[in-house]
Amino acid sequence: MITAVASPNVPTPREAAEAVPIAVSVRNLTKRFRIRRSLAEMVRHPFRVEYQRALDDVSCDIRKGEFFGFLGANGAGKTTLFKILATLVSPDSGTVIVDGHDVVTHAGAVRRALTPVIADERSLRWRLTAKENLRLYAVLYGVPSGEIKARVDEVLEVVGLNAADRKMVGRFSSGMRQRLLIARALIPRPRILLLDEPTRSLDPVSARALRNFLKQEICRKLGCTVLLATHSSEEAFELCDRVAILDRGQPVAIGETDELVMRVTEERYRLWTRTHASDEVESLIGRDIASKIALRGRDDNGWTKWDIDIPGGLDSAAQAVDYLVARGVSVARFERIGISLGELIQRITSREAGGRRA
Amino acid sequence: MRKVLAIVRANWLTTLSYRLETFFSFIGLFIAVVPLYFISRALQPMMSSVIKSEAPEYFGFLMVGLLTFSFVQTAVNALHGSLGGEISTGSFEALLATPTSFVTLLAGMTGQAFSMTSIRALVALLFATAFGAHVIWSSAPAALLVLVLIVLSYLPFGIMAASLVLAFRTTGPFPGGLLAVSGLLGGVYYPTQVVPSWLQQVSVFVPLTYGLRALRRSLLDGAPLTSSAGDLLVLMAGSAVLFAVSIGMFAWALRYAKRMGTLAQY
Repeated sequence: MITAVASPNVPTPREAAEAVPIAVSVRNLTKRFRIRRSLAEMVRHPFRVEYQRALDDVSCDIRKGEFFGFLGANGAGKTTLFKILATLVSPDSGTVIVDGHDVVTHAGAVRRALTPVIADERSLRWRLTAKENLRLYAVLYGVPSGEIKARVDEVLEVVGLNAADRKMVGRFSSGMRQRLLIARALIPRPRILLLDEPTRSLDPVSARALRNFLKQEICRKLGCTVLLATHSSEEAFELCDRVAILDRGQPVAIGETDELVMRVTEERYRLWTRTHASDEVESLIGRDIASKIALRGRDDNGWTKWDIDIPGGLDSAAQAVDYLVARGVSVARFERIGISLGELIQRITSREAGGRRA
Repeated sequence: MRKVLAIVRANWLTTLSYRLETFFSFIGLFIAVVPLYFISRALQPMMSSVIKSEAPEYFGFLMVGLLTFSFVQTAVNALHGSLGGEISTGSFEALLATPTSFVTLLAGMTGQAFSMTSIRALVALLFATAFGAHVIWSSAPAALLVLVLIVLSYLPFGIMAASLVLAFRTTGPFPGGLLAVSGLLGGVYYPTQVVPSWLQQVSVFVPLTYGLRALRRSLLDGAPLTSSAGDLLVLMAGSAVLFAVSIGMFAWALRYAKRMGTLAQY
């Protein structure tokens, strides 16, 4: 393990990050929506009003230039939060400050600082060319007349659509339209960009290309603060500097992505052994190296698969492999298992509950 | 104004990209004028006495009524129609994300419809003149002023319908009912004096009654605007009241949609 020793004058990476100004500040944000009732229910209880909580006391700060992810399943409150940030939905309580402006009282100033990428392809004008689409939004975003052509060319270059600038959007592929949607959001050179599930309608290859593009071009080169809402833990962990995990409107964890990944995914590994070797593998528990072992079966090639929970980081994982090899177990493969979003949320909430009990 | 023109331009480019449809819509205009001419000629002996205070001949009377009514339809329907269209395609959310005021967005979204109606009305009026409709072109500026007042008196109803779309995603029968009453009792096809007396009491509340009377006197009879001062005052006063109500209604709908989270929802 490498330990950084900080001198009194040199800030640690965490201190340096914390010194960066705040782009978006959310404090005790709560939003609930009225539940639509059936006609029968309305007849039975005409005056009853029921609400569903979409966001429950959410607080977080997002630093300037940061790639910040909101990770959560459907209905976790990500889109509601983004709509509040984009001034399309008013909060019930709490405050949201974007680039120093309150989303309720200074909506216009917020819209000048923050641009949502509307990921719906239908929001483009399909009968117009890419250039005509961007030209319209350049005017609406208040780009001076003399700069419009250069700005449109610039964003088309950034998203790699300059060769198709005169093509009707209706003839674009889905991936090209997604890139045009991002180009549209880049027109005002926003300080903050909102991306709500930007890869949901893309094939895996296009999705990967878009992720690389977002990280390298938008966040690193243009220095945009990017807020990403996604239900893909893979996407959030790959792109984001920090992640907030939302579950039914509540933030269950906020932290540095690497730290969070280590905290929740380092424990579980998959092991392939040539022989069944159950005694040796199971003895990992007796040795306090593993906390849980499950036999996953044997594949067609005769390899036996095990899922093993090993707390204590990579050192303990290395210790487990050493132990098995020393006992003559032929280890073919040993890898960390990625976990689903549902499992991730479950792990975090059970840890939080355990922490509170302790 | 720059933003309004940009939206209008984009909408025009979209409309003109459907070249055949645009072409046929103008051909259809010509085809519609021809039967109107012959029907008017047939009805002329019967109508000449009842329309004499507004127009010398029935063909001109009918054409001005119908063309003005097309502006009324645009004023009532364009706003909620384009708003509903933008919401259903998802582009309304993209427009709202820009630092553009609601008034600018709505003006831009209806600008193309109004400019299209104006072009079609002018072309139809030229066709009608070619067929012998008696139009006093020197009165056109005054007539245009009256037409603007008519549009302004119906625009609040359009804003109200747009408020309903914003809040509840439907206008219900409101615009259809309003247009039916205005068309039948506002003097589009016949002067309001010929309807039964109990219906005449209803036509008193229809802005088109006052607007069309003033417009026809000006454009077809060459009367100065001062002769229609009473009608124009009623129109202006009604517009002022309706505008205040409609703006209040729209502001409420906007707050409601933001609170309910339905502002840009399909």
